Amino acid sequence: MSDPLQGHDDASAEPGAGERRRFILDDTGFNEVPVKYRKFYRKWRGAGDALAPNEVVCPVCKVVIRSTRELRPGDRVYCMPCMSRLVVVRGESGMLEARVAY
Amino acid sequence: MTARTEPRTEIHDLEHDAFLEEVHSFEFWFQAVEGYLSGTVHGHRPDTRDVPPVGSDRERLISTLCNYCIGETAALEGASGLIAIAPNRLTKVFLSTQVADEGRHLEVLLQRLADLGVAEPESEVEKRSSPSLQLFRRRLLELVASRDWEAAIFAQNVILESLEYAVFHTHASNADPITREVLEGVIKDERRHIGFGENELGRKLAHSPHIRARLGQVRSQLDHLVLDMLETTAREIGVDRHEQERLGRTYRESVERLGFGS
Repeated sequence: MSDPLQGHDDASAEPGAGERRRFILDDTGFNEVPVKYRKFYRKWRGAGDALAPNEVVCPVCKVVIRSTRELRPGDRVYCMPCMSRLVVVRGESGMLEARVAY
Repeated sequence: MTARTEPRTEIHDLEHDAFLEEVHSFEFWFQAVEGYLSGTVHGHRPDTRDVPPVGSDRERLISTLCNYCIGETAALEGASGLIAIAPNRLTKVFLSTQVADEGRHLEVLLQRLADLGVAEPESEVEKRSSPSLQLFRRRLLELVASRDWEAAIFAQNVILESLEYAVFHTHASNADPITREVLEGVIKDERRHIGFGENELGRKLAHSPHIRARLGQVRSQLDHLVLDMLETTAREIGVDRHEQERLGRTYRESVERLGFGS
């Protein structure tokens, strides 16, 4: 799980959208990328799993991508397990989703 | 010691070129596969208890694994042939890691057939292989031989890999313990292969939209073979109609993300 660290500034936050929360990422046991990158990914645990504000699901390989920052629409994230570049968008459901940016 | 292995910056802050340089490398590949293959023997943990299926279930599993071997052979031959026509160093290096993956897949699947009591796995593969899959293999190798980079990557890393990824996922969920572990290891490799294909073609289509019509033709030539393979395999691994439909949707997702609708 991710632990929010309150009170950190982030210069890249959207104007007027408030400060972004920062997260300390811990190792989730994800073993499909080199050790130094493992904390940025975790497995999707299926129905009942929930995404934290710093997480999106990769539409290509269904791995959960994690950031040290709260994610917002327009952010770029990378999925290393499938080597995709993605952009965060607000989906029809209101939840954050990732779209492949070729 | 942990601090020295921490990335200096968040991975998502990398420029795209730097990201591709990082992931399309043997260094990345070695460290990635080490995470899930270290300590395994023929693709599974050595202490996993074998509970092989018997009777008609065993026969169906053997036929299924034989067809997986044909798919992996096609990908092995295709990926190795594509290295010669790959447009740059990074794609050549990635494909060479894919060749290693596909060779490993073929090896562990043949070993599983031997574990199941098949005396001559390679000749059994030829005997039991689906005509649709054999035809797909020939078509793929024709595309490689004609040096048609985009069409061959589309056939191999998008269509074939998406099919395998969807089928292996479903099969792993109801397979015996050793077959499941073997398939789970293969799926982890397949993530890289489908991602490479989709992203490579997505970039090409963005810069050269005229290739879309050619890829649409390739899809229409191969789609019926893929759907036939999907239906046959779904029957052999014993999935119900609902799951079969979900399999079909999963297979089509990456093709549709590239703008090739049904």
